[in-house]
Amino acid sequence: MPKEIVAGSDAKGDCCVTVTAAKALAVAVATDDPNLFERGIREVVDETLAALAPQGRVKATVSVADKGSLNYVIAARVEAAVRLAFPEIPAIAPKVRRRPSEKDAPRRSRLYAPGNNPRILVGIELHGADCVLVDLEDSVPPAEKPAARVLVKHLLCAIDFPNEVWVRINPLSLGGADDVREVILARPHGVALPKAESKDDVVALSKELAKAEQAVGAPLGSTWIMPIVETAKGVLHAAEIADADPRVAVVAFGAEDFTRDVGARRTLESLLFARSMIVAAAKAAGVQASDTVYADVDDEVGLAAEAKLARDLGFDGKGAIHPGQVPALHAAFTPSEKEMDEARKIVAAAEEAEVQGIGAIAIGGKMVDRPVLERARRALRLADRLSGRLTSPSAGKESR
Amino acid sequence: MKNALGREIPKTIGSRSVEAYAGAFAKKRSGLKAPQPQKSCVPGENKVLPSLEAAIEATGLKDGMTISFHHSFREGDRVINQVVDACARMGLKDLRLFPTALFGTHAKLVDHIKSGVVSRIEGSMNGPVGAYISQGGKLREPATLRSHGGRWRAIESGDVAIDVAFIAASQADAYGNANGINGRTPCGPITFCMVDAQYAKKAVVVTNELAPYPAYPLEIQQGWVDYVVVVDEVGDPEQIASGTLEMTKSPARLRIARLAADAVVASPYFKDGLSFQGGAGGVSLAATMYLAEAMEKAKIVGGFVMGGGTRIMVEMLHKGLVRTILDGQAFDPIAVASLGVDPAHVIMNPGLYANYDSRGCATYMLDAAFLGATEVDLDFNVNVNTHSDGRLLHGIGGHQDVAAGAKMTVITAPSIRGRLPVILDRVTTVTTPGEVIDVIVTERGLAVNPKRGDLKECFLEAGLPVRDIVELKAEADGLVRPLGKPVFGDEVIAAIEWRDGTVIDVVRKVEGWQ
Repeated sequence: MPKEIVAGSDAKGDCCVTVTAAKALAVAVATDDPNLFERGIREVVDETLAALAPQGRVKATVSVADKGSLNYVIAARVEAAVRLAFPEIPAIAPKVRRRPSEKDAPRRSRLYAPGNNPRILVGIELHGADCVLVDLEDSVPPAEKPAARVLVKHLLCAIDFPNEVWVRINPLSLGGADDVREVILARPHGVALPKAESKDDVVALSKELAKAEQAVGAPLGSTWIMPIVETAKGVLHAAEIADADPRVAVVAFGAEDFTRDVGARRTLESLLFARSMIVAAAKAAGVQASDTVYADVDDEVGLAAEAKLARDLGFDGKGAIHPGQVPALHAAFTPSEKEMDEARKIVAAAEEAEVQGIGAIAIGGKMVDRPVLERARRALRLADRLSGRLTSPSAGKESR
Repeated sequence: MKNALGREIPKTIGSRSVEAYAGAFAKKRSGLKAPQPQKSCVPGENKVLPSLEAAIEATGLKDGMTISFHHSFREGDRVINQVVDACARMGLKDLRLFPTALFGTHAKLVDHIKSGVVSRIEGSMNGPVGAYISQGGKLREPATLRSHGGRWRAIESGDVAIDVAFIAASQADAYGNANGINGRTPCGPITFCMVDAQYAKKAVVVTNELAPYPAYPLEIQQGWVDYVVVVDEVGDPEQIASGTLEMTKSPARLRIARLAADAVVASPYFKDGLSFQGGAGGVSLAATMYLAEAMEKAKIVGGFVMGGGTRIMVEMLHKGLVRTILDGQAFDPIAVASLGVDPAHVIMNPGLYANYDSRGCATYMLDAAFLGATEVDLDFNVNVNTHSDGRLLHGIGGHQDVAAGAKMTVITAPSIRGRLPVILDRVTTVTTPGEVIDVIVTERGLAVNPKRGDLKECFLEAGLPVRDIVELKAEADGLVRPLGKPVFGDEVIAAIEWRDGTVIDVVRKVEGWQ
């Protein structure tokens, strides 16, 4: 092994694990208050080491410097450091419970969180986001990626997420395949593929997922894909991307990279073509479309306006970079009472027409054609899904 | 002996005999208050003395006597250190300090304890002094901690006799009328020591600004005051808002604040006339702000809001969201400024606010209150005094008084701090009994005291995440391992008084760990 391997950091909520070569295994723990914390931390370290190398193959000193880190963070940092030092040691497969999600589950909000920042990841499941999307790509510096994917795996296993859980991996050519192999152990509902530019990109990821699912004994095809379209080429190929594979459940737009790629300034108008293209491509393929994030977390008015625009264009949801943005997205993408009333009327009229064998339906003198009926049905389906679920993640766990 | 909460309490603590806590409102008194000293004066008397030493000399302060202070300058206080330094220079020993609260800025008192100038402390200790005495054997007698109302009561009942009260004032006249509202360095109300001034054998006003007669508002009055001393500095108002008064930015804490405000909105008290306690701490500030937004949206006009006064409360008053601010201490410069100009921003003293032995407390008129906690337990008891390692690090403040009075007391606390779980089987120290706590709000949901089934119904109706406290505890415990547990010896570091003068718990010396 190299002389010294480090995983983690000395940021609050994290811990820094250093593995140095030695003749036999030794563990050192440093923490603010050893009286209160040392024994608990040692327990976690010992269990992790036992899971990693039952035969005591780890001949090294493992030093843990804790800054108020939770159990799963310690386990992840120990695993990452030890496996970097001893690459032949296989990954831990922690216990995980995950209820599968439906392909058209509500995805009004997808809340991003940086995959290597324990402090921001704590409680990320508590803010009511439909989807939590833990990121291994842009928010993680290259040197931290190996530790980040291990942390994300442990996080996803340790927390009982009430949300749909996604991981944004790196492009396959830049470590994405390693990301898939690691995080599949935590059975995320889906994997987001950044910079998707062609059908081949999606198919290649689908194949990686199939291999990984098989390797860990997960049901084949149980992991959704969210291609993120964020380049000129991606926008022009949006239709084939959306239709590339049955795993694709939603196509997302990434405006920051897109504007950079085409040399645009970010305005509503400059993004209109890409947005509309993505919505049309997704809907043609029968999947959802999700809009880009709104970058100014302090601008509630701007966020609400952009979310409304996205809803008007046909998007089903939008990205959030801060928990505080989630309520505004839900307000924009939840069908209003008026929309629901209208949808109920349309569906009822259609059912009535079918019984009577009438082809055309009219409500209030206006013709209702097939797309209108489909939209009404979609709104009712979404409302139905939402009513069975909880606005607040822990609500309803206790009944009256 | 065991008190009503099952806490083991010694029959005597130091030289005092102990009455055990029997219930939040079990104690009834009907005797007489302690007498106040008689004083007289003839026209033309001069009260102004040239220095603290001269005043100390004039008061006849001797070894073993008791001196009192208020904490309205909080971290910015300059008077306590100056007075005790002067006592030390004059060779005084064995003094008993009776402050309303001590802060980090009073860390140098540790040296005065070491040298024997100070041998006893009765009062809230925030930070270094508490940490020091927690080592055990540092004071001649265990400390006594009281709530704001409890301290007032203890003076009136004669439980504590003050020899000399030193009263920091940002403005005073030469005749002893003094206030914290005006002057170059205002700190907000100094009414905490109105009772000190009336009951102390001698009262000394310490000010940095002598105004023409009469200095007003008349918080401290000439009839009670023996001497006036002018010093360069009494306190730094900039440091009043230190620490606990910044709005939180943490999503988890904002979620707690949001849920706490939602709980009030879902309660039967959310209607015109709603009166509540805001309080300090990032979460309480945010909860107050969210509640104000909800009141504005629902077009509800509240009754009174109780401080420590803050900018947010002043804004609520200006927007017409509440009719009155009742303010016993100011927590930021905007609240201080408002006190001087707005008749609806009313100065309150702790007797009015919270005196158990009286015919009325302002806290009893509260509908709702947001309070913090260091630890809570499955019986809803709250600890704000000791850290989980057993060290005494915080005072009681108004925690007991407000919780006892408000119809709906909401404790806001994260379920985990670092690796420290906040919900325990048993709190390290009971500050406030579960009997007067209604709701505990964490970022993982709300736990409702079983005796408040009515509130639970309201919360479920509103779709709030109501959780069983055992379940909340288990969820947090799952993320950390069991803590090391301090093993307590027999030595009592401090007695925690309930607001009625009985002992609700004691802080003992940590002897080891298991």
